[in-house]
Amino acid sequence: MAVAAASRPAAWPARIIRSRRTARFLFPLVVLAVWQLAFMFLETAVLPSPGKVLSFMWDEVRMDTLSRHTLYQSFAISLGRLIVGFLIALAIGLVIGLLMGLVRPIEYFLYDVVVVVLAVPSLVWALITGLLFGLGNNAPIVTVIGVGIPFVILNVLEGVKNSPKELFDMSRAFRVPRRRVVRHVLLPSLMPFFFAALRYGFANGWKGLVLAEVFASTNGAGWTIRYWYDAHRAQGVLGYALFFVLFALILERGVFERVSRYVFRWRPQAQLEVVEEAVPEAKLKVATVEAERMAADRGTG
Amino acid sequence: MAKTLDASPDQLQKITHGQETRVAARKKRLRAVKRWGWRIAGYVFFLLLWDVASGTLMSDRLLVPPAGVAREIGEIFQSGDLWMHLSSTLQKIGIGFTLAFFLGTTIGLLTQSRWWEAFFKDWVTSTMTTPGLVYALVVGVIFGFSPIGPIVAIVFASFSYVTVNVAEGIRALPKDLIDMSKAFRVSPGSRLRNVIFPHLAPYLFTGVRYGFSIAWKVTVLTEVFASNKGIGFIMRVEFQLFSMAGLLAWISIFFILMLFLEKGILQFIEQRFFRWRQEVKLA
Repeated sequence: MAVAAASRPAAWPARIIRSRRTARFLFPLVVLAVWQLAFMFLETAVLPSPGKVLSFMWDEVRMDTLSRHTLYQSFAISLGRLIVGFLIALAIGLVIGLLMGLVRPIEYFLYDVVVVVLAVPSLVWALITGLLFGLGNNAPIVTVIGVGIPFVILNVLEGVKNSPKELFDMSRAFRVPRRRVVRHVLLPSLMPFFFAALRYGFANGWKGLVLAEVFASTNGAGWTIRYWYDAHRAQGVLGYALFFVLFALILERGVFERVSRYVFRWRPQAQLEVVEEAVPEAKLKVATVEAERMAADRGTG
Repeated sequence: MAKTLDASPDQLQKITHGQETRVAARKKRLRAVKRWGWRIAGYVFFLLLWDVASGTLMSDRLLVPPAGVAREIGEIFQSGDLWMHLSSTLQKIGIGFTLAFFLGTTIGLLTQSRWWEAFFKDWVTSTMTTPGLVYALVVGVIFGFSPIGPIVAIVFASFSYVTVNVAEGIRALPKDLIDMSKAFRVSPGSRLRNVIFPHLAPYLFTGVRYGFSIAWKVTVLTEVFASNKGIGFIMRVEFQLFSMAGLLAWISIFFILMLFLEKGILQFIEQRFFRWRQEVKLA
């Protein structure tokens, strides 16, 4: 398309319409239009108009709220819990993952259990920790740990398995000191997997955390959206839902893409792009690992 | 090396029927026995840990021992509530995920054009990152207890996994094969049937596996907040009664069923579908 545009300059309106940036900006506008139409023609009593929701959101942004905490406080409380929980998950998962990657029997011993834990829905974590710990900080944090750990373990395990054996052999042959091997061979080869663990563990931990806050907490972002739900304020629920979407987009685009660009700056450019757009790929990776493992088991057993 | 041996039973058989591989086969069997030994030890260990912990670490009313959960599961099977809740949930998943599949495939096909790709990009990213709770509450507040709610939630939460995989598959279409079939005047129908579809199939399967695992989780979640029957509803009831045994029993029943659908049935279909392949492993 770019070539065509360059060789035969189109009239400017056509060029603007065809630009990809326009497409991206167009999408929210189309959503708003459809929403407005649905509001006018569907006549459900509860679907709020876009205007109402946007004005609610504006009030929240200006910290003018009926809820117990302002928007910023709620998200800060949740983010704090998420970070504490995920750091713990990272520490435990890293140790277990390395052990599983290095010692075969430990891998057989734990692998199935880890896969089962990975498949436990976050709702289950939230309900069980809610019953066990009651209201407070504990249930949400333990939920984040439980949801995050299997992601960390499986990705670290995969990273250890994928570390380049021939580079280790070579560095041994050339008598490279151990510390430099760790720094320049092991860590860079673990990095993509570690990063995948970070990204997906964090994203899923967030989803679990929000749920746990609904059932076993009295503050935080999850609790606040539940508050609007219980108050039957549709504009509150939808407004907070949009805040969640925005928060996730900011986290994804603003933080993770930047960090990934920094971490993988040593890679050739072409590969960098693959890493960036491979949102589902790391998840996929875990799945293929699983599938592979099952296939392998069937072959031997 | 071991991987290629494992991956194709046909090849394996050919090799083991060869002359010098008897010893290797025995070694392999020994390794398999060891692996299974450790695996079973893992299961037993964690079940025992659970059994010991309940009653010593925490009261056995809070951390119900495995036997207690098993008893509760038996009672649920006898009471007959199971089928009512289960069928209601499965119905919603069935309808919702079928819709999500078609929507996801359509959008995935559209993203061949870079313009449409840019158009849908933010939507796809944000539906993947939004917590299920948000869908559940939004749908609950708009549709109330009507069964349309969960279906809408399923469609929105799971279609993007199909979309992303279809888009990925299209991006990786084998250009050379398509060019060749054009050069040899293969009819478009046959090209679709014999080149494009076999290439897309593994991507579709991955999308379905992912989408499905999201779909059932979201269904249960919406039922927790806005429904008067279904597995999610009964889970909330048990939670509100502070009945850990009941909660764990319902969770395990549903959990095992879904794992069976996901890992057993879907994977079985997938393997049947790809039995013409040399390797079981996907791309």
